[in-house]
Amino acid sequence: MIEGKLVNLRAPEMTDLERNTRWINDREVTRFLSLRYLMSSAAEENWLRERCSRPMSFADAFFAIETKDGQHIGNTSLFEVSPEDRKAEFGIMIGEKSYWSKGYGSDAAQTLLRFAFDEMNLHRVQLFTYEFNERAIAAYLKSGFVEEGRRRRAIFREGAYHDVVLMAALRDEWLPRFGSQNGGS
Amino acid sequence: MLEGRLVKLRAREMADLQRNTRWINDREVTRFMAARYLMSSAAEEQWMRDRMVGPMSFAATPFAIETKDGEHIGNTSLFNVSPEDRKADFGIMIGEKAYWSKGYGSDATQTLLRFAFEEMNLHRVRLDTYAFNERAIAAYLKSGFAEEGRLRQARYSGGAYHDVVVMGALRDEWLARFG
Repeated sequence: MIEGKLVNLRAPEMTDLERNTRWINDREVTRFLSLRYLMSSAAEENWLRERCSRPMSFADAFFAIETKDGQHIGNTSLFEVSPEDRKAEFGIMIGEKSYWSKGYGSDAAQTLLRFAFDEMNLHRVQLFTYEFNERAIAAYLKSGFVEEGRRRRAIFREGAYHDVVLMAALRDEWLPRFGSQNGGS
Repeated sequence: MLEGRLVKLRAREMADLQRNTRWINDREVTRFMAARYLMSSAAEEQWMRDRMVGPMSFAATPFAIETKDGEHIGNTSLFNVSPEDRKADFGIMIGEKAYWSKGYGSDATQTLLRFAFEEMNLHRVRLDTYAFNERAIAAYLKSGFAEEGRLRQARYSGGAYHDVVVMGALRDEWLARFG
């Protein structure tokens, strides 16, 4: 368990299946994700089983997000991890919509960034999101990501092309601002 | 065969193997590419064979670049093609270093962009390159790509972190400029 201020990050479990399937088929959730199509519970089960059947590792750091009282509200992960460039892609989904805009996503992001820098020894974590996902962009800025550019009209959703916003956090910038787990920087 | 002004684009052939293997192991060539390690001719042969078993298609457009007199000087392709977003990633290698900085790369780029927009009906083509690859960045700008951002310290090579330069060409802008 990795402790944040509002949330804990834990390993995914097969008992997350029902919630994951519900979230991944909720268009209000997935309009902000790469996922464009729907997903059967069988397909989600295969996907989750594959994840849960191996230990978490440098190449595969996928976490469930829980509130402090143990409610599973979303998932977050680092993927496409490059050992040479010491960088990774960051992804997050808060599937329980009643937890949106209350700081849970930002806290999960900061908790995972700290793990990326303090434990995985990454030097850069990057993400992309869509320009219409203003809530997330604000949360990412608050969590220490910086905007680095916009891929113009790079995503087609809901009948129109939108810019893709590129953001990243660099260890040398992030740790002085947010500090290490032990309180040092 | 796609005709440019200085080059032609043709399908790749197994006969390209020896040149491809030489280029992909030339560090002066690969320092500008994602490829970081070396590649045996057997691995290169397998890689080429995998790409040549099927016809070229929307999802897979591996071209060889030839001069007008038929010398094979490099390769170019579109990959990660998204039918929903109507976009693709662009990659190019001029392996014959004697042909660098003479307009062959830019012409190959423009020829493939025209094919992407006029035949594949893409609306956007993107590429990533490294900040130290100034020759390529100049060629991409000349070919109609615009810089869209810089990913700070995103590439480690030659003992240091370097920015990755993000560029994109949009059909509406490109066709207005290049016809």
